Amino acid sequence: MSSQTGKPHMRSAAWRISLWATFAFACGTLVFFLFLQSFVVADIQRRTDAWLSGEVEVLGNVAEHTPKNALYQRVLGEVAELATREVPNKLPSEGSFNDSVFFLQTGDDGSLRLWVGVGDGQAELNAMRVKAIPSGNPTDIHVQGFSVPFRVASVRIEDGSHIFLGLSERDDLRVLRNLRLRFFLLWLMLVMLGFAMVFLSTRRMLSHVRKITEAASRIGHSDLNARVPIARRNDEVSQLALTLNRMLDRIESSMHQLHTITDSLAHDLRSPLTAIRGKLESSLSKDAGGDQTESIVSAIDELDRLTDFLNKSLDVAEARADALRLTRIEVDMDDLLRAMIDLYEPSMSEKSLKVRMRSSGSVTVLADAALLHRMIANLLDNELKHLPDGCTVTVALQGAKDGASLIVEDDGPGFESGVLDHLFERRVKGRDSDGHGLGLAFVEAVTRAHGGTVSVTNRDTGGAHIAVKIPSGLEVVPESSLQTEVFEPAFQSRQIRL
Amino acid sequence: MRLLLVEDETDIQSFLRRSLEDAGYEVEAASDGKTAERLAVDSVFDILIVDLGLPDQDGITLILRLRQLGVKAPVLILSARRSVDDRVRGLEQGGDDYLTKPFALAELLARLRNLLKRNSPASAEATRLRVMDLELDLLRREASRGGQLLQLTQQEFVLLEYLCRNAGRVVTRSMILDRVWGMRIQPDTNVVDVHIYRLRGKVDGTGQQPMIRTMRGVGYVLTDR
Repeated sequence: MSSQTGKPHMRSAAWRISLWATFAFACGTLVFFLFLQSFVVADIQRRTDAWLSGEVEVLGNVAEHTPKNALYQRVLGEVAELATREVPNKLPSEGSFNDSVFFLQTGDDGSLRLWVGVGDGQAELNAMRVKAIPSGNPTDIHVQGFSVPFRVASVRIEDGSHIFLGLSERDDLRVLRNLRLRFFLLWLMLVMLGFAMVFLSTRRMLSHVRKITEAASRIGHSDLNARVPIARRNDEVSQLALTLNRMLDRIESSMHQLHTITDSLAHDLRSPLTAIRGKLESSLSKDAGGDQTESIVSAIDELDRLTDFLNKSLDVAEARADALRLTRIEVDMDDLLRAMIDLYEPSMSEKSLKVRMRSSGSVTVLADAALLHRMIANLLDNELKHLPDGCTVTVALQGAKDGASLIVEDDGPGFESGVLDHLFERRVKGRDSDGHGLGLAFVEAVTRAHGGTVSVTNRDTGGAHIAVKIPSGLEVVPESSLQTEVFEPAFQSRQIRL
Repeated sequence: MRLLLVEDETDIQSFLRRSLEDAGYEVEAASDGKTAERLAVDSVFDILIVDLGLPDQDGITLILRLRQLGVKAPVLILSARRSVDDRVRGLEQGGDDYLTKPFALAELLARLRNLLKRNSPASAEATRLRVMDLELDLLRREASRGGQLLQLTQQEFVLLEYLCRNAGRVVTRSMILDRVWGMRIQPDTNVVDVHIYRLRGKVDGTGQQPMIRTMRGVGYVLTDR
């Protein structure tokens, strides 16, 4: 256990990944080297066999064509010895004669007729008798007294005698041993090199992850300003860091919004609460005969305003956080707007404001009716509160293929230029506004919750221009409008029949 | 009228109990779901007020449980949550009603009356309404005061009808918006007041006893005496 805690890198992911990768790499290279070795073995054998077959052929020819006289043995002996000098993979000969090669001729009765080699050739002859050697194909023969087998090729000549040429596999095996040793060392080096490379690169990569972890834990403890370091390379780890940073951005901005909201809530609640408290207190201290109703009533008014403000801020906050729950039903925007204008018209004309409505007829959207009501009430409240006397408010509704477009505009002074870019932020309001600065933020939040857009501009001719686009939310019309047009008449007639 | 009040906050419970008893209800109160269940099964109530945030269980669960036990009385749901739960909407469809805190007492009483009326056997719908010398002909959509026909718009007639149906009782602005315009909105402008002023201008002509009275801080009332 102590060794583990002493070597933390042994428990790291880099270590484990390197081990597995090295294991896989070692297996792969091992297979490769084994294949290579078997190929080399086969090749050496093939060369040896080719040499043996060739030489035994030559010797056979020589034996056949040399007259069987006294010189016969000598000629054949010389040729055989010459041949042994060309043995492949041969070590430099230690003695006068190469002990790795022998030449043997047997008579048709199987007796030893001619022997070129070390020793008397009896052991070889015995070995040959034990195992029959097919003519042409070289075969392994174990000879007593030799640890390494001989590769023997034979040929039968006309007079019924056999010629055998044997080559010790000692030299081949030595070559192969050398080769194996080198292969093994090379393999070991490769594996170690591979392990080192994988380990170092993995550790390097994972060190970024470690840095991210450290940075992230710091962020939790101190503040939200810190960010995770981003490596220059654009790999997965950098992506992770980027994603984390973006998440932190969002969290920070939400926290910021939350702070702003709580701050402004505290501010906005404190003053009315103080007022309510004061009013109630004064009603308490007044002489029993005095009229207490007035202060109590205005305290209730104040409380109502407070409740309303609280509701609106929470609505906006919820909508911003995409937490508004929509109960969608089919709403006819035309009906809705007419009812709204009917509700607001008296208040408007009281302020000598004129309201005009332009509509191309019924426009149905699938939306949350209660939220739409409140959104439009907000827009009209806005006009009612901020327009100077004598202005005209125009409400225009237009149905498009993909939804409803609602425009509320007036010929008043328009928005203050400094406010225009920040209208949808909570608590942004004009200097003279006595509202909460929540109206347009709420409008935008509700529209966004429905998947629509709001744009607020000042008209060239002066006055505010608010355009709200609400998607129909009904089944999306397929893109291939051409086809729909073609099939439209048939579709209509079917509807009529129904 | 026997009423079961299920509300865990003692302040609100005692204040509601007092106000409801003043309004003529016989009130039994429970502070948690278990007690409420026992009370509702032991005796029969005409109407229930259930707060959603009970200490031992969710108000909705309690209501569904009571329905299973065969309690048929209508329920007025009180909720401190502002966004209305889908399940509350479901109950609303089933004939119950909800009110979010804080609320005006007048509104609570009005909603209770509405629930009771909705659940009482349907009486033959009157075709004429009469409050003092104000008369409404619901078929011809005409109103007259002291025999003199009032020139009302369609919307003003609906508003006056609503006031007449609640004659003698306070209606709040949000009740008016809900019942007359069918909108649950809270305008921060005086839209409802202007409608009422206009109506008042037509109903309470010169020299007549004013009928539409403003209850400051609460709403409006059509006097019936």
